[in-house]
Amino acid sequence: MQAYAAKLIDLIETKAANIAGQWADDVMKHNRTPSYHSLPRNMVIEQGTEFYKLFRRMSLAENPYEEAKTFSWKYAEKFYRENIPLQETIYALMLLRRHLWLYAEFQGTFFTALEKQQAVESLNRTILMFDYVSYQVIEKYEELIRRDVDKNLLAVETLTKKGCVGAEHKTCRFVLMTILVMGALVLTYYCHAILQTGVVFTHLFYIPVVLASVFWGRKGIWIAVILGLALLFSHGAFLKGIPFTEDIIRAVMFVAVGGVMGWLMEDVIKVRELFHGFKS
Amino acid sequence: MKAFIAKLVDLTQKNSEEIAKQWAKDVKTNAKTGSYHKAPEEKIIRQARDFYNNFQMMFFNESPYEQAKEIFEKYAEERYKEGMPLHEALYALILMRRHMWLYAEFQSLFNVDVEHRQAVESLSRTILMFDYIMYVVTRKFWKMMKL
Repeated sequence: MQAYAAKLIDLIETKAANIAGQWADDVMKHNRTPSYHSLPRNMVIEQGTEFYKLFRRMSLAENPYEEAKTFSWKYAEKFYRENIPLQETIYALMLLRRHLWLYAEFQGTFFTALEKQQAVESLNRTILMFDYVSYQVIEKYEELIRRDVDKNLLAVETLTKKGCVGAEHKTCRFVLMTILVMGALVLTYYCHAILQTGVVFTHLFYIPVVLASVFWGRKGIWIAVILGLALLFSHGAFLKGIPFTEDIIRAVMFVAVGGVMGWLMEDVIKVRELFHGFKS
Repeated sequence: MKAFIAKLVDLTQKNSEEIAKQWAKDVKTNAKTGSYHKAPEEKIIRQARDFYNNFQMMFFNESPYEQAKEIFEKYAEERYKEGMPLHEALYALILMRRHMWLYAEFQSLFNVDVEHRQAVESLSRTILMFDYIMYVVTRKFWKMMKL
């Protein structure tokens, strides 16, 4: 077996560039690897050659699984950054294996009955090594996806998770919102009933309106509705003789801002849930 | 050649329960398939048994790739919903292939010189089928991961 394994390994190493060239021709026009069609041929051949060279190192290594890691991770990173979908990367690996075997057959490496028996063993060994590389490439891809998702959702995480108002702190959110709404009601009463003025203090109401949408998505609109109604009710009770127009516009704006924010946050919340589902 | 493939697939199907049990034992302890370690044994044996039965259907289908899509996209969806990482789901499939082959070897299905030539051919055919399955499963997972 050793002699035959060596024969196959020698063939692969000396002809690495040739086999990689044949593989590149195939992978760059195969209908299951369309993303490879537009890659520079040299880059594709280089990856193939590196893979075939790895084969010797893996064959001689005491721990072929560990030996494959450096190559697999580099290979995965390279194609991930080129936006190649995982199934295509894996299919390209399968084609690498097929071309290796096709080349060995074409060169008549195994043709006697005895050699066929050893070919089965070599084939099994080859498959095992490919299994290792495929496993490591997939694992790396998953890690890279997770890293990208982490990066892309950092802002969302900051907004929806960080600090005492984070998603995990439901009580804190409720207490904070109660304080803000109560503050807004007291301020309305003070301005309308005591100062007898409709002067612009309602800008502060946007703090609870926006936060409610961030916390609860579309449901957060109820805070805008409550504040809008409170403003109109207070106006009716304490500012007799002053036209309602401005406060009606303000109340409508609360609801509009709360509604739009809530609608936008629904998507953010969905993405966040998906992200956490994926991570766990 | 055909007779040999038929022999291998028949052997796998007739002994699917036994091969599935050997696979389950492996997958429950293998370091690369951590998600299976706590899964109920009966459930995972059923999973492998179904797999081997579906594999037979695929093997003799005129367009095995189309058949693989039909059967294994559902398989991928189920594993994804169970929260299994793709590398583990695929490694479990790799182990299914190995156990199928190990069983055939253990039963001395291929033991004379002339049969080794055919063993190479049926091994190549088995690998081709598994390549289709792995491609289909990876593509489905990728789509769901990229949602």
